[in-house]
Amino acid sequence: MDRQAFIDKLFARAQSEGFEAYEVYCVKGDSFDVSVFGGEIVDYTVSESMGLGFRALSGGKMGYASTQALDDDAVEFLIDGVKDSAAFIENDDPQFIYGGGEEYAAVENYSPALADVEPAQKIALARELEKAALAQDPRIQRVDGCSVMTEASECVIRNSRGLNLISHTNVALAYVAPVAEEDGRVNVGMKFQMEQEFDALDAQGIAKAAVEKALSGLAAEQPASRTCAIAFQNLAAASLLGVFASIFSAEAAQKGLSLLKGREGEAIASAAVTIVDDPHRPHSVASKPFDGEGVPTRKKNVVEKGVLKTLLHNLTTAAKQGVATTGNAARGYASAVGVAPTNFYIAPSEENVEAMLARMGEGFLITEISGLHAGANQISGDFSLLAKGYAVHDGKKAEAVKQITVAGNFFEVLKDVVAVASDLEFGLPGGCLVGSPTVWVKALSVAGK
Amino acid sequence: MASKAALERALGVALTTGGDFAEIFWEDTRKTRMNLIDGKIENYEAGREHGAGVRVYRELESAYVYTNDTSEAGLCAAARAAADAIGANRGEERPVSLVRSVAANAHVIRELPLDVPGSAKARLLHDVYSAAKAESPLIAQVSAQVIGRDTDVIIANSEGRMVADRRVYTRLAVNAVASENGENQTGFSGPGAQRGFEFFRETIDPEAEARNAARTALTMLRAEHCPAGTMPVIIDGGFGGVIFHEACGHSLEATSVAFGNSEFCGKLGQKIASDCVTAIDDGTIPGEWGSINIDDEGTPTTRLVLIENGVLKNYMIDRLNSRRMHMPITGSARRESYCYAPTSRMRNTFIAPGSDDEEEIIRTAGNALYARQMGGGSVNPATGEFNFSVAEGYLIRDGKIDRPVRGATLIGKGGEVLMRIDRVGRKMWMAQGMCGSQSGSVCVNVGQPMIRVTSITVGGR
Repeated sequence: MDRQAFIDKLFARAQSEGFEAYEVYCVKGDSFDVSVFGGEIVDYTVSESMGLGFRALSGGKMGYASTQALDDDAVEFLIDGVKDSAAFIENDDPQFIYGGGEEYAAVENYSPALADVEPAQKIALARELEKAALAQDPRIQRVDGCSVMTEASECVIRNSRGLNLISHTNVALAYVAPVAEEDGRVNVGMKFQMEQEFDALDAQGIAKAAVEKALSGLAAEQPASRTCAIAFQNLAAASLLGVFASIFSAEAAQKGLSLLKGREGEAIASAAVTIVDDPHRPHSVASKPFDGEGVPTRKKNVVEKGVLKTLLHNLTTAAKQGVATTGNAARGYASAVGVAPTNFYIAPSEENVEAMLARMGEGFLITEISGLHAGANQISGDFSLLAKGYAVHDGKKAEAVKQITVAGNFFEVLKDVVAVASDLEFGLPGGCLVGSPTVWVKALSVAGK
Repeated sequence: MASKAALERALGVALTTGGDFAEIFWEDTRKTRMNLIDGKIENYEAGREHGAGVRVYRELESAYVYTNDTSEAGLCAAARAAADAIGANRGEERPVSLVRSVAANAHVIRELPLDVPGSAKARLLHDVYSAAKAESPLIAQVSAQVIGRDTDVIIANSEGRMVADRRVYTRLAVNAVASENGENQTGFSGPGAQRGFEFFRETIDPEAEARNAARTALTMLRAEHCPAGTMPVIIDGGFGGVIFHEACGHSLEATSVAFGNSEFCGKLGQKIASDCVTAIDDGTIPGEWGSINIDDEGTPTTRLVLIENGVLKNYMIDRLNSRRMHMPITGSARRESYCYAPTSRMRNTFIAPGSDDEEEIIRTAGNALYARQMGGGSVNPATGEFNFSVAEGYLIRDGKIDRPVRGATLIGKGGEVLMRIDRVGRKMWMAQGMCGSQSGSVCVNVGQPMIRVTSITVGGR
């Protein structure tokens, strides 16, 4: 049955069950993904998907259940599911179904023109991108991925307290990973571009940057182990911030899973560090007028000149701490409400990267870090990550380096930031978008030969 | 359930634009997850995933379209969209007639996880919590989760095959946090199987798993930072097998090999590892987390020798890549769900038992790192460069285990590490993991006996 009819039927059943309050959170998505290799389409995936989450307050406990099928069985599955769920929950945290009442910001994060782009145009762009990459240099013989993707999603929240919200977002993304080979050495470069307007995707520009990365790393050698100054290039710094973003969650803090618990108002980072969460950033896929509980979102500094101003809250964590929610409730249709940032970034300075490296003098410029899902621990802050990049000598980018690890503790890194540059960039989306300029850290351990 | 007539109709529609093969993957999954933190049940969620994906090939090109609408109209609409992506000229619907079959189930499931009452799950989690907490007052936090999954699939293709399969998974995950002087360290255990809830009574001791997680966290709390440098490394059995999974396994998947993006391309029959290494990818082991009855293209599962005494014997190959590589399929095509087109993936992948004595391996190591528990890792198959983290490590001094160290990472190139394995122990065991790649996140086992690598770059501080 259609969504409207399904929700009406579900709500009628929910009312007859006598739940104190209840809510539907529904996400609908359309995606398109084409990959080419040697001019041929090797992957072409199109989808339409929908998931509906239902939650209800029963005896003060919030039960959750979800479904992707909207049939009669699903109504009973959801009703039984939330009843069973609420019956076993022991956590006594206050639970909320938000009734609204506040203003929602107008957020520019949907392009009607993007919705009209034909598959043929996307395929043509993917082919152009691969061709452009292969044409740059004879040492580029193939790609390890060349794709164009678009995604659109719609989020609906409707509840028994009268809330009825809808928001839309869409985005287009192109990436290529050329493989450079010379004298038995292999190096892969990768560059992506993410835009809300399809015409803004620049195949030549992406290909050029990706090939530069692939070629410049070809001669890389493993340097000797040492402890020295490190500049994390913007996207590498964004990856590091992204993997540790959960330390800023009040939920993690309240559960003893973040060492930032109770440290609001303290200097937790050097004065060079300001970290912003901005849910209203224009044309970003992570921007949203309301959060996962339907609460209006707002921009805030999480860290301001080194001082922790606030953790990120939803209604429950805020009530437990006696503060107002920051509008950072996050959830998927199938998961309980948690906390997450939106567009989360280290604020840039006015200084360009070259000037910053000139001041740094000696060390490494790290362009890429890998193994984040395993080599970084949010609870301890420890990280030890595979990295590559360049040596920095006499304040200038010098020879390429690879097969090193950079190790430290994120809480110490925050305090050891000497400066940040002006080149703010955002990484690939993963629920939220994380950005950073290039960040200079006083000293970290580098393992090599 | 999807009707035979609807599947036949949709397959016919899928081939109207010149496609030479079409396949439908229909799925209905019921999931349950309960988690506990701070000694209290925090969430208990039931979920149902439902949808189907239609795939069409024309020679080496393929299109995949998936949807939640599994009515005949919905399947035909998806089939039409896939057909349109393959060719422009629409011809007649091709008649397809399917013959129904049911995959033989190698796994004995007695207590379906969705039917087990919440009270039994809650009791399990409370027991696990208490066991971990009881290890030490320094155990500041314990979270535990029990998940169950019950999936029905139907795979139908234009060659007339229509096969149904049921897949039931059960898993416990325990995270322990030890805390002292503003520092935290963690330990993890995550046993799982293709078993019902009886797994927790008959096969594993959940409380022992919890104590192990707590002990790792406590050991690491008192550990020094691992020194950085290049040294011999001994990797224990079980989850230690992640080194083979990352350093070699991914590079033997057709996903990389078919495109020339693997350091092991063109090396069949050649020596790629030292003589003591035999490695197997086995989808047939009853009850194991990485086993499958049939793969996600409907092909019966296999036991595949990847490396025998150091010589490369086989790649893992799915249907589409078998066309590219002109080699037979190996029954190892997998996907997370209907939201992904399948591709070649690992199942239960392990280094076979060798002939070396575990005590001797340590005694003759000199100064080395002993990785008792591994964390996860990743690899770039195109370059062979891998990394993975050591969850519980010890320094070995003069052949004796000296002291625990934290924060170690192992990096290197797969081909180089395989050639540097100089010892393989006698006792092999496996552990469970989730492997993420092109076709999503799938359940895999990794395994090995204790092995020794003569030199690896160790990241530390």
